Amino acid sequence: MNAERRLPAEQAAGSGGGPDERTGASLAADHERQRSDRWPAQDDAGVEAAARLRGVAIRRESFSLGPLTVSIPAGMVTAIVGPNGSGKSTLLRMLLRMEPYDEGGIEVLGRRLEPDSDMQLRERIGFVTELPHAYENGLTADDKARFASLWYSGWSWDRYTRLMKSFDADRTKKLGKLSKGMRRKAELAVAMAHDPELLLLDEPSSGLDPSAWKTLLDELTRYMNGGDRTLILATHITEEVRRLADYVLFMHRGQCLGLYEKDRLFENWRVFAVQREDGAAGRDDAARLLREAPGVQGALEAGPGICKLESDAPEETERYCRSAGYRILSSQRLELEEIMACLVRKGEAVR
Amino acid sequence: MWIPVHIDENRPEPLYHQVEVQLRGLILSGQLAEGTLLPSIRELAADLRCSAITVRRVYQDLENEGLLRTRQGTGTFVSGIDKEARESYRLERVVEAFERAVETGLQLQCTREEMERIWREAYERRSAEAPEERRKADER
Repeated sequence: MNAERRLPAEQAAGSGGGPDERTGASLAADHERQRSDRWPAQDDAGVEAAARLRGVAIRRESFSLGPLTVSIPAGMVTAIVGPNGSGKSTLLRMLLRMEPYDEGGIEVLGRRLEPDSDMQLRERIGFVTELPHAYENGLTADDKARFASLWYSGWSWDRYTRLMKSFDADRTKKLGKLSKGMRRKAELAVAMAHDPELLLLDEPSSGLDPSAWKTLLDELTRYMNGGDRTLILATHITEEVRRLADYVLFMHRGQCLGLYEKDRLFENWRVFAVQREDGAAGRDDAARLLREAPGVQGALEAGPGICKLESDAPEETERYCRSAGYRILSSQRLELEEIMACLVRKGEAVR
Repeated sequence: MWIPVHIDENRPEPLYHQVEVQLRGLILSGQLAEGTLLPSIRELAADLRCSAITVRRVYQDLENEGLLRTRQGTGTFVSGIDKEARESYRLERVVEAFERAVETGLQLQCTREEMERIWREAYERRSAEAPEERRKADER
């Protein structure tokens, strides 16, 4: 199985030097662009990207997004999190060229997306959409699988069968007659049966019961096991992020609030409860005073003389509080949604 | 394979440090025997709910220390640890624990006599509770 997998480095090299329909001049221009581009600071310099977006924007009357400039690391699991309507699904759809965009450029698995269709690239990707396609209602899972098997050269009936068994999914009922979760399981099995290099999942666990959800996590861990596969998933489930993700990409109102290495993110954000050493003095405006302390992204009065501080530079915040005459009562990690709220606030303050 | 590593999310130490210290301890104490196949990076990351980047870093560090070795395509194994390294690690852990106890004692203004009395009493009580461990220690 490993022999048929190509390493990301080879893909990148192969796509640059391989046959290409574009003119020499436009290729040279591309190379020039690649070299001169500087990615955001949080983007680890040495990391190979499975997908790169540069200044990608959608500008419509009803909906605008971007400009987004971000690169999503290869061989890793990136979770896209953000409220409804923040652009998560649109981002995934753009990577598949299912969603037109007005500005910028996208590169997927080392290939630039072009207006003309490129089946070779699509073959290397697996995708589960947020909502099932109504036109597939009359098909069974096996029908859908037969159709997919014609399109994907990497298709394996063994893998499909194993996944369907593992998910305990129904192969013979029409998809339209299945419960939401049962249909989801069949769609996941079909999307993964060609062992794609890049797997894009839009809220994969919606509708799944706890046991099927656990199976999904196990199967995705197994999929990622060799280290040469990339998973990008949009999710609302914090626990999914905790168990699966290596990177977290925050989105809000069509903007990217940053791509962070997950463990660093949780290490770098803490919430403190602090209290003035001398009790009474100045207690009423402690929250207001500490709002300006280094690292503090949120401060509120949590009780008489006690102030709760959310910080993204915990060591500095702690040092400052101690030197300013505060006692640290407690220090804890922030939850993902609390970090998200801080980032949104921070983003809106800049605007 | 399941590895008894526990992450305390509220400790200020970085995750990779917590995992590394515990895994090193399991190897040097002999709880993970030579030749044991460790979970893949991805599996351990899922178990610990941390990122694969963190686990990869831990495996790399311990490989550099000679405690682990990776065979291409098969996985990461526990290396043979020489007696000396194991012995020095055994004492290091005890020294560490005593240092912490002494520090607490000093913070609470304990005298040397008080600390020595506490140590003797604790030793008598605990070793009476665990005669098997005491016998093994006496044999050494």
